[in-house]
This record gives sequence, structure tokens and C-alpha cells, in this order.
Amino acid sequence: MNTINNSQHDHQEPRIGVYICRCGGNISDVVDVDRVAEVSRHIPGVVVAKVHTFCCSDPGQNTISQDIQAEKLDRVVVASCSPFLHELTFRGAVQRGGLNPYLYEHANIREQGSWAHKHDPAGATAKSIRMIAAAVGKLQYSTPLDQIRLPNHRKALVIGGGIAGMKVAADLAGRGIPVLLVESSGRLGGRLNQWNRVFPTDTPAGQLVTKLLAQLDANPLVEILLNCKVTAVKGFVGSFQVTIEGPLGPSGAMTSTQTTIGAIVMATGFRPYVPDDGEFLYRKDPGVITMPEFIDLMRGQQTGAGELVYKGRTIRSIAFLHCVGSRQIDGVHTPRADGKINTYCSRVCCTTTLQQALAAKERFPSLQVYDLHQDIRTYGRGHEDYYVRAGKAGVVFFRYHGDEIPRVELANGKHPGEPSLHITFKDYLTWGEELTLDVDMLVLAVGLMAGDIPDLINMFKLPVGEDRFIQEIHPKLRPVEISVNGVLLAGTVQGPMNIEETLNAAGAAAVKASAMFLKDVVELNPYVAQVDADLCQGSGSCVTQCEYDGAIAMVETQVNGKSVRQARVNPGLCVGCGACVAVCPTRAINLNGWRLDQYDAMVDGLTADIPAVAAATS
Amino acid sequence: MIAMEKQIHTDVLVVGGGIAGIQSALDMADQGFKVIIVERQSSIGGQMIALSKVFPTLDCASCITTPKMSAAAHHPNIQLMVNTEVNQIETVGAGQRITVTRKATYVDPEKCIGCRLCEYACEIEYHDPFELGLGAIRAIAIPFTNAIPQKAVLNPDYCTTCGLCARACPTDAIDYAQEPQTFTVHAGTVIVASGFALNSLNVKPQYNAAQSKNVISPLTMERLLAPHAPYGRVLRPSDGKIPSSVAFVQCAGSRDETIGVPYCSRVCCMYAIKQAMLLSGALPMADITIYYMDIRAFGKGYEQFYQNARAMGINFVRGKVARIESAPNDDMLLHVELTEEAADPCRQQRHDLVVLAQGMLPQWNVSEHSSLQRGSDGFVASPDVTNPSATNLPGIFSAGTASGPKDIVDTITESGASAMAARRYLHQQKGSKNPDIPTDTAAVHLVQRGEGEIHDDQAVQAGL
Repeated sequence: MNTINNSQHDHQEPRIGVYICRCGGNISDVVDVDRVAEVSRHIPGVVVAKVHTFCCSDPGQNTISQDIQAEKLDRVVVASCSPFLHELTFRGAVQRGGLNPYLYEHANIREQGSWAHKHDPAGATAKSIRMIAAAVGKLQYSTPLDQIRLPNHRKALVIGGGIAGMKVAADLAGRGIPVLLVESSGRLGGRLNQWNRVFPTDTPAGQLVTKLLAQLDANPLVEILLNCKVTAVKGFVGSFQVTIEGPLGPSGAMTSTQTTIGAIVMATGFRPYVPDDGEFLYRKDPGVITMPEFIDLMRGQQTGAGELVYKGRTIRSIAFLHCVGSRQIDGVHTPRADGKINTYCSRVCCTTTLQQALAAKERFPSLQVYDLHQDIRTYGRGHEDYYVRAGKAGVVFFRYHGDEIPRVELANGKHPGEPSLHITFKDYLTWGEELTLDVDMLVLAVGLMAGDIPDLINMFKLPVGEDRFIQEIHPKLRPVEISVNGVLLAGTVQGPMNIEETLNAAGAAAVKASAMFLKDVVELNPYVAQVDADLCQGSGSCVTQCEYDGAIAMVETQVNGKSVRQARVNPGLCVGCGACVAVCPTRAINLNGWRLDQYDAMVDGLTADIPAVAAATS
Repeated sequence: MIAMEKQIHTDVLVVGGGIAGIQSALDMADQGFKVIIVERQSSIGGQMIALSKVFPTLDCASCITTPKMSAAAHHPNIQLMVNTEVNQIETVGAGQRITVTRKATYVDPEKCIGCRLCEYACEIEYHDPFELGLGAIRAIAIPFTNAIPQKAVLNPDYCTTCGLCARACPTDAIDYAQEPQTFTVHAGTVIVASGFALNSLNVKPQYNAAQSKNVISPLTMERLLAPHAPYGRVLRPSDGKIPSSVAFVQCAGSRDETIGVPYCSRVCCMYAIKQAMLLSGALPMADITIYYMDIRAFGKGYEQFYQNARAMGINFVRGKVARIESAPNDDMLLHVELTEEAADPCRQQRHDLVVLAQGMLPQWNVSEHSSLQRGSDGFVASPDVTNPSATNLPGIFSAGTASGPKDIVDTITESGASAMAARRYLHQQKGSKNPDIPTDTAAVHLVQRGEGEIHDDQAVQAGL
């Protein structure tokens, strides 16, 4: 057992309160919480142990705050759900009671107790008691900690100048924050520049771009860098040092510049699924095109003759095929180069397809239009209207099953003007009958794929989901934040979204960035490594082991008038992983809040001879 | 006697304390603005706090709603006005003047300490509205376990004024003569987050919901499945039997022009799948069937969630339930048409519990209380394509299901966007001479005319 002395408790015994949550029944249906409370009262140092239906609720939190005062508690354990959900909640309650918020420990007796041991109530109860004993043990060695406060540079960087990036920039500048908007192409607007009209209003896509451009142009706080790329990033939330490369000088020659940024918004967008050569005869027959190609075709058809002509061929019949590159099934679809299939729904293709099918039918009334789908997912406001109108306009619908992919072949007709494509499929609107269609054109409603941004992913250590999109921390609680502090997500970098949803996501990202700039400092958790100057012999093992650039470094320093090399932690970059702690030959490094003596105490708590545990188990 | 009208100044007034209102309020408050949330119910939390678990993460709804509720309640920039309805929103200059009425709860919120002694003393019980009638609640009670604020509310429809609660109350908070109070709030901006309601279970008479207790609302199923469920397990309402064959009838109040709801309600496919999954956990022996037209599993992780449900053995039958008839033993006979199977295109299937996917309607008719325009669907109109949370009125924004059906993920995202739009609006108004528009850092002033000043913390205590 480590013998580090906790001077704070030389003169008095700790007074620890333990609060055990029923979590409605999530915990108490399995764990005997009253028993846990009873036993907890016998753990040395514990003066109060109470059970509450929802500790996180207001009365639950108030009980804690009030007990701190009434029972003169100096430390608190809450045994409830994962700290991921409620650690901050209870720190707040502890703070309101007048204690340092870090004199608080969380025992996860739900995910690691009642949920993990559903069929072993006695075992779950005994384990819960031991987890509380470990938390109590750790708390005996806890010291008050303060959040790390770092300077916050009042400037935001938005990467990507599509609709999402433009909206974030307009929002942030519109509330007074300087914004640097970096776009890799020569033009703002992104994919919208290739679009014709956006649903559900059928507003010309160009209007949206123009409107946002006007907001950006009118605001002197916005700096736009076109044809530029972010090539390097250093630093941390509040002060990222970002390197940008591009034709920055007046001569237009390629050069690079560095700037300091407080918060970064990733708005790099998506790329459309590109079918493999030969997939549904794509690139084998000119009549097979993707939705973006069809939209491009339609953009040129606003006026003119009454016939749709494509590559010299008159198009009299079109089939739209849904779910190309989306909702793929293992064993049915061919994986991409990375071995993955796109199991997800791309969200926007159904409404886009119906909008475009309807537009084609309205523009060319004699056109025969077919729609082959699995489900029609016109879920959004005004979307269902396209489905109803397309049906009324004479679009003919067929329904296939995802595991029975329609087959596309070249039609036998050799004569010019005859349909070139022969589609065979089982239609479940006619109870699985095998049907064939001969059409002049097949439009593949391709899905959305994650953008191709490996450099940015590496640079920022962005978390990538199974679907290759960037993964948010929690889809409901924190939908635009990621595990990298100070970096936010806006739009389809995160997953498929339509324009309206993209704009909302951009607004949500902007509001989080906006809140970050409320203060001129950023406050971070104090759980970082700390070097004991008396013990550090300058071995440098910690620097070798550290995976976070610049988080720990060797510096020259004066000890007793002599110049020595010692390790120093950069608290902005340290993530508190503990790798340096493990390799230090002189045990000179500790993690604040997770010191070695605290681990020892936790192990003691877990293995302690608590008589009542035995009783609970038996 | 005419109650004294109190004047309150704030930066932002949020109509509705559901998840949309809470998120918008938090995002405004985190940017340094003073926010008042006006909630007609006795607790914030809205519909979300009553749900069981949420798709596609299967987080327990209480567990992820309470931290947001609690964060709002404890935020130094947020004040809650519960039991309060918005009467009128009027634009005055570049600001908004809102009149609100706090309903009589017959308990002085300033004195109530949430000890529940009144509740324990009360001898009258009625159907608990939070449990949708599945359980009972006392005529004076704290509305539900994790309600915020924890203040008792007396229901005059059931109270017999026997005096037991008043005698039990240690702080003398019971006030049988309490009157509604009207306030005028001067706000720089308003966020409408008034949420949704479901259309009637009986909107389609051919489903016979009025005749059978076992044709239930999805919100009732949420309560049956909640971790702190009224019965602790899933029992059907008519006779308390454990159901063995449960049907989900999709689009039972949506996508149907004949009932005035031609649009998709957007969340029903996913909650039906979620409820089916939770049911198959709670009732491993039960048959669970979802009757649907299209499965709209469009969001991130939703399609995979749907495929998991199929793999779990939940029956998905594409077809339209034409009518529902009563069958012996309180069961129901479903007439299903246009299925995918040639051998059996029209079939009859017996189930002992049926959940109707009711359609989403707006909870609150904004046109009756403001000059806000509504779309043909009745929800708040969003005329600006580059700013979906903007309304037809500058300075008033919408969040969540007030502007159309939305799931929780999209609601939370849009609530952030709404707060950003409101933030930008306030920034533009900064420096304006109009006293109705506070600047960024303006403090909330609660001036009770003729009675001096109320301090902010008192206002919070008072549940204002």
C-alpha cells in the first residue's frame, strides 16, 4: 500500500455520504439497494447512506446538497448509472452543497451492476457494495481540484464551404465572432451548385447559396479562403494553431499561413455513391445515369422542345431505382474497397427521386416514368406531398425486396428508338410477380457516402463510425460534438441529411461554438498528468510513450542551482490516458484525480473484508 | 378583484418546457442570456420524460431527460414558470410582449418544500394523468417522481376541501383560495417550442378503439414499458392479462387525407420498432407484429435498428389494416388488406393487444395567440429556406415539433439552431433604444408593480 500522506485528513476522519439510485427500477429491480445502503453505512468513513428513486432528479440532487450541509459531509459517492450520463450532474449537486466538485466519486452499479448481472441479483448486490467500497476508498485520498483554465482565442475556423459551412460562418459572424471559412474548391456552395431545386419548397438551389453568400459578404468578420486546405493543426481547444495552404498571396502563388483558432467546425460534407462499372450497367450503357447526372440533365431542360433528349437519344421512358448504394445487405451486395457495405439509409434519396420524377413528368407529360423502391421514405414536412402528386401525375410504382436486386440488361431491340434497357424484378405490389420493364433511361438514386477526408481524420483524430461518417458523442444528448474537444460537426460530415436538416445541424454547431466564446478562457477537466519535480530524474520514457504530440516534453529547468532536464506536461494537450504514469521508472508522474495511491485504495476497497458482503452473497 | 399585473423583463421567452424548449433555453443561457421557460404543465420535461427508452440508442428516456431538465432548473440564467399558459404574444418594436397566466395550483410554490406530506395525507385518488390513467394519483400531489420543480399541485376537480392536506403541510403552503395570476413578460425574442399532441385514438372509427380498452395509444405502451412502469410489467388494460400477441398498426392517424392528416408523422415507424424490441424482451413468448405501409427508418443508425428487429423475429407485415373488430375474451380481430403474399392478400388476424400509431398534431394553435402563420398542416410555418427555425415574424423562432413532426435527435439539433437564430437576432438588435430589447448581458428584472422588487432567486423558488 502506498504511503502518500493526505495531510488534509491528518486531523479529522472523512465524512462521506453515499447515495444509491434505484434508477426507477433499472437498478433496484436487480440490486437490493436497501441492503446496499445498509452495508455501505458500515464502510469506514461513511456517515450517510441513502436510497433514492432518481438521484439525478431535482429532489435527489437536493438531498445530496442538503446533506453536505446538514451532515457536514466532505465527500460524496453516488452509485447509479454510467458516469458518462451523470457525473457532471452530481458534481454540480456537490458543488451547490459547498464542496469542491472533485471530492465526488461515481460508482456505476447500473451498467456494471444491475444490467450486467440481471440474472444474479445477489451477485449484483455484492458487486455494487464492493464498487461503493472502492469509490469510498479512493475518495479518502482525493484532494480538491480546479478546472484547467486556458486562453480562448476568439476566432472560429470552418472547414468546408458548402451550405453547412456557409451557414455556420454566417451564424457565428452574425453574432460577432470572427470566422475563417476554408474551402478546398474555387467556389462556395458545395453540392448545392450542382442541384436544381431543393425540396420541399422547390426553391432554386442557387437562391439559397446567393442568400447565404450575401450574409457572408456583408459581414467584415468573415474571411473566406478558396482553393485552400488545412494541412496541419497543433494545440487544443481555445488555441489551435492551424496551418492553411493555398494561393494566399497577392500573386496567387501557393503558400501557407498559420493562424490561432479557438474552435473548429467540420463541414466537409458528403460525396455521392458512385456505382461500380457495370453495376446496373452503369458506364456500360449511356442510358444508365446517377441522380446527380440526371439533375444536371434536367437543369438544361428548363425551356425548349417537348422531348427529353440525352446524348442524341430521345428518352420516352425512365425508371428510377431507389437505394443504390444504400440499405445494402451482407452477402447480397458487393463490399466497397474497404470491405464494408453501406447498410444505412441515405435519407434524402426517396424525396429527391419523387421530386425529380414528378418534375420530369410535369416537364415532359408524355414521358413514361417508373419508380422502383423498397419503402418510400418521404418522412419530412411537405415530403409526402411529392409522393401523392407523383402518383396522381401518373408515375408508376413498383416495390422490390432489398435482397432481390432488380436485374438490368441491354434490351434486345436493335432498332434505333427502341428502349435500350431491360429491367427484371419481382414486384411486391403484385404479390411477388416477376415483371419486366423496357426503358430508355435508368436513373440510379445513389446514396450519400462519407466525404473523402483521411488527412483531416488523421490530423484531428476524428472518431469515425462504422458507416465511415464522423461519429458524434451522443446522438441525442450531444449531437454536434465529438470526442475531440473544441471540434464540432455541421451537416453531412456526420451522416446523410437533407438541406433543412443540414442547416439545422449547422445552427446547432454554431450555437455550441458561440457558447464556447462566452468566456475568454476555456475550462477543462483537471484529470491530467502531473510531474513531481522532486522525483523526476529526466529519463524521458514518458515522452517516448506519449501518443499525444506535445502533451509531455522534456524541458531544461533549475534544481538547486543546477540545470537539469525534467518532464513537463502541457495540460491543454494531455488527455489523462496515464501511459506516462505507467512507464515512469521513479513513479514521478501521477494523474490528478486518479493518483496511484487512489488506485491502491480502490483495490483495497474492492477486496476489503466487509462482513456484510459475505452475508449479501450468501 | 383584478389581480395586479406583474411586469417581467428577460432576453428570451421559451414557450414550452419539453425537450425542445429545454434545449433551446440551455443553448441561449449558455450564451449568457436570461431565459424564461413557460410551461403549461406542472413540470418541465414534456413528452420525453414519460417515454420508456429512446431509439436507436435504447437509452432510458428518464436517464437522458432528467439531466437536461435538471441543468435547466439549476442554470443561473434560466427561470421556470410552470403551470403557466401563454395568452398572447405581441411584437412591440423589435421586442416581444407576452402575457401569461399562472393557473391556480392551490399550493403556494414559494412555501412548498416538496415534502409530499400533503400527498400522503390526501385520501382522494384519481386516474394519474402522467401514467395516462394506468395508475392513480392523489388529488394533491407532486406530479411524478422526477418532476421539476418538486412542488405539490392540487387538482380542484377531485379535491373535496376536506382540509387534511392543509393540516399536514408543515409550511402552511396550501391555499384553497389561490387565484390565477397574469404577468406581462417583455422579451427580446421568443422561441416557440410548444410541441405536439396525438390525434384521437378514435379518429378512424373502423378501428373501434372506443369499444375496446385493449386498443391503446403508443404513449400508453411507453408507460407500460417504462423502467418505473405503473404495473412493473406489461399487462393489457381490460383485464390485466399478460398479452401474448401484440399488433402495431402503423399510419393509424397519419398519411390519410380522409382524416385531415395527409403527412407522415415521422416517428411512428421507429418507436413501433423500439416498442416491439422492448416487448420481445419483456414478453419473450409473445408474438409481435407490425402492420405497415413503408418502414421509414431514415435516421442515423435507424436502418440497422430496423434490421436488428427483423432479425429478432418481430413480424413485419406490409399491408393496410382495414378495420378492427372485437373478438371474444377482449381480443381484437384485425382485417388486413393488400399484403405482399399472393396466397393471402387479405387476411384476418387475432391479437390481444393493439397499438395504434396515432398521428402528430400541433399541441398549440399559435394563430390564436399571436400573428404567427401556420402551414396547411397546422404547424408553425417556416418561410425562410436558409433559416428553418425562423417564422413569419422577426424575433420569433420555432423549435422541435411546433414546426412539424420530428424525432428527438432532430428536435435537439433544431433547438440548437433555433437558439442560434435567436442569438443572431438579439445581436442585430443590440444598441437599439427600445427598452423592450435587453442587450446581451442584461439581467432579468422582476418588478412587481407597487410591491417593490422580487429577487431572481425568489422567483425561481416561486416556480415563476
